[in-house]
Amino acid sequence: MAKKPKPAQPSRRAIWSGSITIGLVNVPVKLYAMIYDRGINFHFLHKTDNQPLKYERVCTKDGKLVPWEEVAKGYEVAKNEYVVFDQEELDAVKPESDKRIRIDKFVDYFSVDPTYFNTTYALMPDKSNDAYSLLLAALKKMGKAGAGRITLRTKEYPVLVHAYKDALVLTTLRYAYDVVDPQAFEELKELKAPEKAELDLAMKIIKDLSGEFDITEYEDTYRRKVEELIAKKLKGEKIVVEKPAEEEVKGLMIALRETLKQLEKK
Amino acid sequence: MSEKLTKVQFTNFDKILFPQIKVTKAQVIEYYIKIAPKMLRHLANRPLVLTRFPDGVEKEGFYEKDTPEGTPSWVKTVTLYSETAKRDVHYILCNDLDTLIWLANLAAIEIHIPLSTVDHRDKPDFVFFDVDPEPPATYEDAAEVALLLKEKLNQLGLEPYVKTSGKKGLHVLIPIAREYTFRETRAFVHTVGKQLSKEHAIVVSEFSETKKPGKVFIDYLQNSHGRTMICPYSLRAVPTATVSTPLDWSEVKKRIKPAEFNISNVASLRKDPWKNIFGNKQKLEVK
Repeated sequence: MAKKPKPAQPSRRAIWSGSITIGLVNVPVKLYAMIYDRGINFHFLHKTDNQPLKYERVCTKDGKLVPWEEVAKGYEVAKNEYVVFDQEELDAVKPESDKRIRIDKFVDYFSVDPTYFNTTYALMPDKSNDAYSLLLAALKKMGKAGAGRITLRTKEYPVLVHAYKDALVLTTLRYAYDVVDPQAFEELKELKAPEKAELDLAMKIIKDLSGEFDITEYEDTYRRKVEELIAKKLKGEKIVVEKPAEEEVKGLMIALRETLKQLEKK
Repeated sequence: MSEKLTKVQFTNFDKILFPQIKVTKAQVIEYYIKIAPKMLRHLANRPLVLTRFPDGVEKEGFYEKDTPEGTPSWVKTVTLYSETAKRDVHYILCNDLDTLIWLANLAAIEIHIPLSTVDHRDKPDFVFFDVDPEPPATYEDAAEVALLLKEKLNQLGLEPYVKTSGKKGLHVLIPIAREYTFRETRAFVHTVGKQLSKEHAIVVSEFSETKKPGKVFIDYLQNSHGRTMICPYSLRAVPTATVSTPLDWSEVKKRIKPAEFNISNVASLRKDPWKNIFGNKQKLEVK
């Protein structure tokens, strides 16, 4: 059994630095990555000699390699019709990050539905310990989040700044127009309100099954199995490819084991 | 299957048995595996009658009493003379988990049991009131009558148990000491039914009245040798895969619809309101 994956480690390199501005107050901060999507990465190799493969830019017309100097960007306006840009033209309109996280107002963190949460970054004081600590303590005490804007690279995002595990963190948000309103699905038009007795029963079931959520109970089992395989391969063990049991059989075997256990108890 | 958890050889896992809700045979088998700890004691030592639906509940099923061809040698059977068939029938006994799984694999969706066990065939250990509404009477009416029946039985010092039939009726049962014949239990049910029909216009108790529209029939005839009842926790061959579910009387009072008790929730979410039923054998004052 492989051990649980190591927790993600903090990066030493800030991806942005600037200030949180609230009215006339500035709190200089640095922004660090905090969310890692750590899947297992594989590289493509040439089967016959295990050499890594690489991607090349090839012209679809003559199949010839195209050097970077000859690469332009095209915006497809219709099938096979492009408006063409040089990199300089695009750079000229790039929004300049004004090095500010502008806080417009303070809101309850949980009043923003997590559907809009994009990704979260850690904010660290940048020679601003006192101001940072003050803002952190005030947000924590009131359970509020600062709502505002930031420009990261070329994109402007709505953001929330809130206290998480005694640190300030920044969560970029999605724009309302990038999220589908589920009410737009036809399927919901046919829904009827449940009857009271049914609803009571459903609520009772939910109550009986209610508990505390613990994210550490969850683990990517595919990742773990691949890591086990990697460890075996490194030790030179031969991997036996087992024909995977069908999903149904697996479910049945779990149920069967549970029932046998219960019957044994009797 | 790498591990030998069961002797049963599974077949046609993906066959859809309940097309309307897309339930496969694998799911039916899983249901019976999960419900086994509560269901097996109701099956034990009772010669079974099955209703099998190998092509799903929307196609025709068939009754089966005799062991089918290819019955494995480890399945317990008992040979009894059948009055109706006028011949010896090899009945299946389901006394263990493997047999129940094997039945599920046969697509024996409905499992029916007699009211007596094989060792005391003429001495029932249950009294059975089949409370059956005739449209336009509904489940609500059946619930009403079942509650009246409970009250009457309580007055006689008896503690009845109740389950849904899985269709529109309710089954009220009293576990009894094996001291009475079917003739006596039948007479008892009939007497109580007649009494209730005198007191409440909605109740009918005579066989000739069974089809009276809007009435609820308390059927006493099921208390007979060779008759069977749907086993507690058996699935029913209806499109929504309901379960004949033992209820707490409070659930009857709340008129929770029988459709609420089905393949998707009965095995996993419910406590067994009939937990003590085999330890509560009662005596009837049959006079």
